[in-house]
Amino acid sequence: MGGKVTCTLGEVKNRADFIIYWGGNPADCHPLHFSRYTLIPKGKHVPEGRKGRTMVLVDVRETPSARHADILLQVKPGKDFEVITTLRALVKNQPVDAARVAETGLTLEQLQDFADRMKNARFGVLFFGMGLSMTRGKHMNSAAALALVAELNAYTKFVSMPMRGHGNVTGADVVMRWTTGFPFGVSLSRGYPRFNPGEFSTIDVLVRGDNDATLVLGADPGATMPQPAIDHLARTPTIVLDPKVTHTSRLARVHITTATTGISAPGTVYRMDEIPLPLKPILESPYPTDEEVMHRILEKVKEKPAWTPASYKEVPCA
Amino acid sequence: MLRITGGRVYDPANEVDGEVRDVCISGGRIVDEVAGAEVRTIDAAGMVVFPGGVDVHTHVAGGALNFARAMTPENHRDAAKFTHSPELRAGVGGTTPSTFATGYLYAGLGYTTVNEAAVPVLSARHTHEELRDTPLVDKSCCVLMANNELILDLLEEGETERAKHLLAWHLWAAKGYGIKAVNPGGVTAWKWGKDAKILSEPVPGYSKVTPAKIISSMAAMVDELGLPHPLHLHCNNLGAPGNIDTTIETMKLLDGHRAHMAHLQFHSYGGDDWDTLRSESARLAEFFNGQPNLTADAGAILFGDSVTITADGPWQHLLYQLTGRKWGNLDVENETGCGVVPYTYKGTNMVNAVQWAVGLELLLLIDDPWRIYLTTDHPNGACFWRYPEIIHLLMNADFRRECLEKLPDKAMGRIHLPGIDREYTLFEIAIITSAGPARALGMPQKGHLGVGADADVVLYNDDSDREHMFGHPRYLLKGGEVVVEEGDIRKMVDGRECIVRPGYDDNIEEYLRPLFEQYYTMSFDNYPVEMERLEGADIRECG
Repeated sequence: MGGKVTCTLGEVKNRADFIIYWGGNPADCHPLHFSRYTLIPKGKHVPEGRKGRTMVLVDVRETPSARHADILLQVKPGKDFEVITTLRALVKNQPVDAARVAETGLTLEQLQDFADRMKNARFGVLFFGMGLSMTRGKHMNSAAALALVAELNAYTKFVSMPMRGHGNVTGADVVMRWTTGFPFGVSLSRGYPRFNPGEFSTIDVLVRGDNDATLVLGADPGATMPQPAIDHLARTPTIVLDPKVTHTSRLARVHITTATTGISAPGTVYRMDEIPLPLKPILESPYPTDEEVMHRILEKVKEKPAWTPASYKEVPCA
Repeated sequence: MLRITGGRVYDPANEVDGEVRDVCISGGRIVDEVAGAEVRTIDAAGMVVFPGGVDVHTHVAGGALNFARAMTPENHRDAAKFTHSPELRAGVGGTTPSTFATGYLYAGLGYTTVNEAAVPVLSARHTHEELRDTPLVDKSCCVLMANNELILDLLEEGETERAKHLLAWHLWAAKGYGIKAVNPGGVTAWKWGKDAKILSEPVPGYSKVTPAKIISSMAAMVDELGLPHPLHLHCNNLGAPGNIDTTIETMKLLDGHRAHMAHLQFHSYGGDDWDTLRSESARLAEFFNGQPNLTADAGAILFGDSVTITADGPWQHLLYQLTGRKWGNLDVENETGCGVVPYTYKGTNMVNAVQWAVGLELLLLIDDPWRIYLTTDHPNGACFWRYPEIIHLLMNADFRRECLEKLPDKAMGRIHLPGIDREYTLFEIAIITSAGPARALGMPQKGHLGVGADADVVLYNDDSDREHMFGHPRYLLKGGEVVVEEGDIRKMVDGRECIVRPGYDDNIEEYLRPLFEQYYTMSFDNYPVEMERLEGADIRECG
């Protein structure tokens, strides 16, 4: 099992009559999602716009997104996996123990109604956020949600999409894949790409203290990562490229101020559905772009003797 | 300047069949003669000299392939590794190689031109970014248009002339080279979870548009626009038992218009279900032989791991249900879709055994090698870096018989391969791997060694082990630069992109803009790929 059944956001706009947001609060975190892509627009096959769509919000509390929802399903914290697994059973008309369902904070009737609505949708979509993918169960929750959606396609058209954000994180993932073959958690320390999340992913490398220097580009790990990782960033040489002063730049040895991409620097941003959008600068900046700085660093690195496995012998041992 | 001397030259486009002669190169092109002290000479005694390989149908870049990379990291764990060096970038091979590795692996076969066969306009910018990072080969791409709803809407209203201008506009917007049709109408139907299996029935959501109408009008439009490459056609009912009828009906619909029939192996089955599946390659080849307007590529399969990647969404859903393996699906608004399912072809499986035979049978039974080309629909049937295995099978009937003995008994009565003795010659291999596909793509500078051609030349040791020979070129020249020397990649050069600028009525943008703003989710002005995104583009004006 695995994979992802998804679409671009225009498909949602043009076709979706049943929209689920699970473990996310787009009203605050993706403020244009409702109006540009999902709920409000009049789509080619949903000419009535908002009236032609039903929105279900699944979350552990009533967030500002709740007032946009037709149905709010409030799950007990940490019980998302159980809810999804129950839904997978109900979709396939399998028997479910009502007493066990009650532990999730929802009733069997609520879930039966939810499952029926999913199966009867003309075009359904499940958007899921970090409230699902980063809480108890983590990637198991995401896998269960993706499986539920894949299985629904035996009955109707259904797709899913993670609510990615944080600048151009999708772009970083896309470029890593075509250059190294893997999406993240890649080590090039042997001279070729190796993939092992949990070993080579950033937090793990920092927490173990494996690296002796860090280059931070377009991110602020000092604000979000666990304390041992931040401690390691402060302990070792950290270089930050960022237009602004950030938590990370405050603890870095070097902060190179760069032009803001999308305002003063051109580039490409990949939307959460992996559609590339060109960025066209509207202002001039006195600062160099990230790309220029990286090229200049690379030129300097190239002046050093080649460090390849073939020249291991020449590399002095620490 | 460079002279290759003493090699046996196979240049089918110029009717050179193994003659020992010199090939001279200057300024990146083949020339009549070179002279002077600065001429480098490569002694090619004992070697054969081919024009660089041309892959007419492969999937090496873009959203769908990158989706597959994300889905199948396990396939890369045991894959070939490329270690970075001052000359080379790091990468991995395997079923969906990283972009740099793709260039190295093609060079490692002696291939110098590849045609990426499925590009949605909406994400064409991404495809070009990947192609830019694919070194050593020249590139072109085919743009997915047969499920573009703006075009289908016009066909519904009978506005074929306007549809043609829209088609041309999109081709230029994507900076593409040719027009691709995948499961015409079926991918649109898949947006509602349906398919288009009968050519004469309206596509769901339309009353007049049928797959037949899409196929015949699109082939006509491509011909009227005078595009160098004919309509690149992936028929309806791919992979389904009994689909031979659909395939032949499709060929009849073309009514003399040019078309390139993609991965024909997947469209040549008889029978009613998986238990009764059989090869219909003989019937298909017989019909195809009488249709001079058509070319095809084999889409052969080899046993082993692969990842199926196709715009054919409904088929991928079926394959997921059949295999219970991972399933990726990505519907692209208003235009197309794509599906990704990892798959393992097993020599012990009757259906896979028949598929294996069908690919080879088509290559052996279609009598004109100028019209059938070597492909595996990479990575669908097998990875492109396994082409030498197929060449070995085509050139050696005894080896084929050895392989046939290992197939399950159930498969034997369903295939034609045991009765075929034909063996390919080196001259014919040069046709199906280079001269033929270059001609089908309409690239006069590729696939031959005549004066004026691009100096893409490959030298192989004339080894009786053909698999080893074609997997280990001794020298490869790309645009006159020696990039592979004594079997090693020594020099990195960027490939160029071939794109076509067709003629269209500029007013089409006024028609398109309001529709676009209504149905799409990006700004109209951001939709076309900017020329600056392409590095080293050769623009071919057309019409």
